[in-house]
Amino acid sequence: MAYHSFLLEPISCHAWNKDRTQIALCPNNHEVHIYRKDGAKWSKVHELKEHNGQVTGIDWAPESNRLVTCGTDRNAYVWTLKGNVWKPTLVILRINRAARCVKWSPKENKFAVGSGSRLISICYFEQENDWWVCKHIKKPIRSTVLSLDWHPNNVLLAAGSCDFKCRIFSAYIKEVEERPSPTPWGSKMPFGELMFESSSSCGWVHSICFSASGNRVAWVSHDSTLCLADANKKMAVVSLCTETLPLLAVTFITESSLVAAGHDCYPMLFTYDEGPGTLSFGGKLDVPKQSSQRGLTARERFQNLDKKASSDVANAALDTVHKNSISQISVLAGGKANCSQFCTTGMDGGMSIWDVKSLESALKDLRIK
Amino acid sequence: DSRRRGEALRALHAALRSAPAHTRSAALKEQAQGTMLRVLTSFKSSEIEQAVNSLDRNGIDLLMKYIYKGFEKPTENSSAILLQWHEKALAVGGLGSIVRVLTARKTV
Repeated sequence: MAYHSFLLEPISCHAWNKDRTQIALCPNNHEVHIYRKDGAKWSKVHELKEHNGQVTGIDWAPESNRLVTCGTDRNAYVWTLKGNVWKPTLVILRINRAARCVKWSPKENKFAVGSGSRLISICYFEQENDWWVCKHIKKPIRSTVLSLDWHPNNVLLAAGSCDFKCRIFSAYIKEVEERPSPTPWGSKMPFGELMFESSSSCGWVHSICFSASGNRVAWVSHDSTLCLADANKKMAVVSLCTETLPLLAVTFITESSLVAAGHDCYPMLFTYDEGPGTLSFGGKLDVPKQSSQRGLTARERFQNLDKKASSDVANAALDTVHKNSISQISVLAGGKANCSQFCTTGMDGGMSIWDVKSLESALKDLRIK
Repeated sequence: DSRRRGEALRALHAALRSAPAHTRSAALKEQAQGTMLRVLTSFKSSEIEQAVNSLDRNGIDLLMKYIYKGFEKPTENSSAILLQWHEKALAVGGLGSIVRVLTARKTV
């Protein structure tokens, strides 16, 4: 576990470059800072100042090396590296509320922005006019779109929203791509077509993720549940009510295993069993530090009894790597099919890199399918 | 005594099964809450843990909803008993079961 404390404030969002030598993050303000790895240290190499409101989403396109950022100022910028300077290009999203999340499509010829305007802006570059244009997906979204993830076919887009639903839309743009071939989610995919809509959760959908093949989509919501829809099983939805506080981020690490994290400040493993169609909790993925066990004095015991109605010896301090909620998880190595490393950032201003092999050897009961 | 325990357990399961989840009638909900409180009170402190362990995940979540509903309008002795149920239900359901009480759109 490599933990680095970047800030004393929350990291709003982060994105890695292709070879994982640089990380772009928003330090809870209007800017984006890019840090480069220098041996064991991290040094700040760029400060991107263009937004007039907090930056709520960053995505770094691995092949074209472009950054896209979106913020509460209702704008998105596409950044291109010219020499040693990042140059922004404004993208008019035509929204009247804050932008909340942004994702490049797999082929990097489009990106999607979710916003409080209860719609998704799909942006693509128009060659003739030399600028980014956007189309809106509105129906039937009823509240803020909090999270987005693209299907590997570059057309389907999953969106998690504050109206408690997970939906899959077609974001097919005929100007930039060929008509897509049929998928288990459906065969007719005109722009804006609703391919799937869930109905099970009672909480805001904080994070959503397609599996590597795109045949499964998983999401976490504020009612402490994790849900998964399997297109190969007629889009049947499986949900798991967790015993933890709500999860804020989720990603697939294999086709059947997920890692999620949230307000409990540690990542956890979940497994999807295709046969019976069940989701199960696979274990806590945090290696606790050996803290010194000192006994409680009689005075402390009474104080505990008075304050917390329990005479538990347990320490009040967190023994997890992150000292505050984890808000984002990103896959670093191995892709979503066979992830060997993932990264978490949180409200404690820290970033932690987790190695799957080390976790498997440190936590004996872990079974990653 | 074991017969009394068995009856209390059956009453609990029955009360949970027939919980009026989709009704808008306040009277019906009030009645169900009253019944649930009587059932929960009929258990001896030592039997609560076993009763909680006999419930499935949905049962625990529903029980938690009733416990918090009971906290809203405390009677003579209700809070003390409900707190005991709360402790045992929390041990099995975790904080997630409480979160689901707060986020539930259909109240009991």
